[in-house]
Amino acid sequence: MNKLFPTQEVGSLVKPRWRLEGYRGEPLLQEDIAEAVKWGRKLGIENLRELVELLSEGDSASRRSALLEWSAKYAIRFFETAGLDIAFDGEQWRSEMYEHVIRKASGFKFLGYVKSFDYRYYKKAACVDRPKYAKSFYLDEFLFTKENTKMEIKVPFTGAYTIVDWTFNEHYEKKSSRKTRSFKRMKFEAKREFLFDLINEVTRPEISKLVDSGAKWIQIDEPAATTNPTDEEMKLFVESFNETVKGFNCTFSLHNCYSHYEVLAKYAGKLRNCSHLSLEFANRDSRQTGIGDTRTGYKEIELFEEHGFQGNYGLGVVDVHSNFVEPPELVRDRILHVAKMIDDPSRIYVSPDCGLRTRTWEISFRKLRNMVLGAELGRKALK
Amino acid sequence: MIGCYVTGMIPRPSELIERTRAYERRRISEEDLEKSFVKGTEIVIKDQISAGLSYITDGMLYWQDLLRPLTKSLKGITVGALTRWFNNNTFYRKPIINSHVELEEDAVKNIMCVKQLPENLPWKAILPAPYTFAFLSENQFYKDKAEFMFEFAEIINKEIRSLVEAGFTYIQLSDPALVYEPLAASLKRDRLALVHDALEIAFRGTSVRTCLQTFFGDFSNILPEALDFPVRDLGIDLYETDFEKLKEYSFEKGVALGLVDSRNSLVEEQDELVAAAKETIECIYTSKMGEVFICPNCDLEFLPWERAREKIQIIGSVTKRVREDFV
Repeated sequence: MNKLFPTQEVGSLVKPRWRLEGYRGEPLLQEDIAEAVKWGRKLGIENLRELVELLSEGDSASRRSALLEWSAKYAIRFFETAGLDIAFDGEQWRSEMYEHVIRKASGFKFLGYVKSFDYRYYKKAACVDRPKYAKSFYLDEFLFTKENTKMEIKVPFTGAYTIVDWTFNEHYEKKSSRKTRSFKRMKFEAKREFLFDLINEVTRPEISKLVDSGAKWIQIDEPAATTNPTDEEMKLFVESFNETVKGFNCTFSLHNCYSHYEVLAKYAGKLRNCSHLSLEFANRDSRQTGIGDTRTGYKEIELFEEHGFQGNYGLGVVDVHSNFVEPPELVRDRILHVAKMIDDPSRIYVSPDCGLRTRTWEISFRKLRNMVLGAELGRKALK
Repeated sequence: MIGCYVTGMIPRPSELIERTRAYERRRISEEDLEKSFVKGTEIVIKDQISAGLSYITDGMLYWQDLLRPLTKSLKGITVGALTRWFNNNTFYRKPIINSHVELEEDAVKNIMCVKQLPENLPWKAILPAPYTFAFLSENQFYKDKAEFMFEFAEIINKEIRSLVEAGFTYIQLSDPALVYEPLAASLKRDRLALVHDALEIAFRGTSVRTCLQTFFGDFSNILPEALDFPVRDLGIDLYETDFEKLKEYSFEKGVALGLVDSRNSLVEEQDELVAAAKETIECIYTSKMGEVFICPNCDLEFLPWERAREKIQIIGSVTKRVREDFV
């Protein structure tokens, strides 16, 4: 992109109640419908009457399918109205980044809930057979987005390493004999086999379909990239990324957040065809304006530079876990601080730390709008 | 003797999970939630009894994480941010040490379901080891983490005495940070002498059976020093430990063999586990066989409840078969 400091979203937007409850077939409250109308007007959505009629209908497969399209249309328009340069559909079609892929591939079985923390749990699946591509999982939403925007599109794509890390590996461990002396090695080799089967049987076929259909930029989401920060595991992660993107005529980037950046930095330079790293920093930073020592959250950029990463940064300048709306001046200073650190402003893509799905649409919109204004101030400052 | 037990938190039974979620959404009262915890605890205790485990725990269903009862109760500590629990997709609240730590009332005993434990079977209690608690905390008060570790060991000693008084006859201290590979690299050998001394303080004046349970890392990294730790049993995660290195040492203490994998839902073949147990026992006890416990490699809470339940039964069955082979 020729523009300095292009602005982008990173992933998901919270699903409105009319989309969530409507998709579940639950009756909607008047206030849910009013919310849809309010945002529809704000975003300039056409044929709102049609949506209101749909929301008043009873549950059916066609209604569920239409709801996905409507909410995707809202999210796309949301990003356009906020003024972003690069966007997608806020992942409105996906139940969740892990579950969405697992449900569309074969070879997996959900076993039940596992504790995440306190009284929060997540549904965990087991790989019970060799993973196979069963149904497309991102293509439909990409085609829909393509039809409904003129913006540059970036497809967020859950990485294979994270899926493997979050899944019980029954199939491949069962194939291995449990001899005492090889337990540790057996687990690693079984993980490796699972990972590359998943990449070759499921991940790459979907990327291939996206690229054939015109996708130009795919963001590989790997929240688990540094969960196992040993040298052997990090090398496996790098190998998995490189295998995933190998040979495709497409731009790829990596998104990783709330992570060990001192570990990731050591290996980032080894990622091939990775044009850009989308990283979370605002969460760690002070809220005072200024550049220099005030910007406590961006120190780790130095590590990536020291270890020879030469790509672009999807620079997290908006904290997605707080309702604090970053003023444009703060966004500007975060951008200018890093531009100075790396001595090359053209390597910065302005982003939130992660998807905004834990914030309301009101807060998300205000945050993104100020992010766009902050990028403009940054451009002016460098003129 | 060949016995068996669990080594940490058992996952909450499915119904209890639903009730905790309902509580979070304010759909049920605290009293209703409490009743569900009592019922859940009853289930996990029954499962351990029916599997024939040698020591029974209350399942630790109330524990939000291994450190929390102490993080929440000790004066001088505040509950910090959610932090990844080693290399798992599970999180704990980081203890923030901001003034002198003090135990005002029993933290662990108060959260244990003592009344529900069976009268006719021995009880086991599990607490965080001083090293792991100190390592995973953010120290804003003490000179260094070692100073805090010794202070914490004194507190753990009071907790242990109180638990022993309540009737517990087996005390396990869980020490994953001691062996977890990315951290182990920074653990200098001379630190193990400090760990030894902290354990001595923690177990001072107690006559019950004790264990230092390690997991998520290679036990052989702390050998041979661990063989002299002031505990009766040493717990080993066999899914993380280099067996070739382990068998270079001759054990005299008891061992808790983490043979059942709590981090994979695959239900193990019993024949394979029996063979693995026998091979390990024969290799590490070169002169005289010590006392052995068959156990999961870490907390079962990483599994969905139904699968954890199956694994508890396997622990019992495998132990029975290994016991028969060594008679």
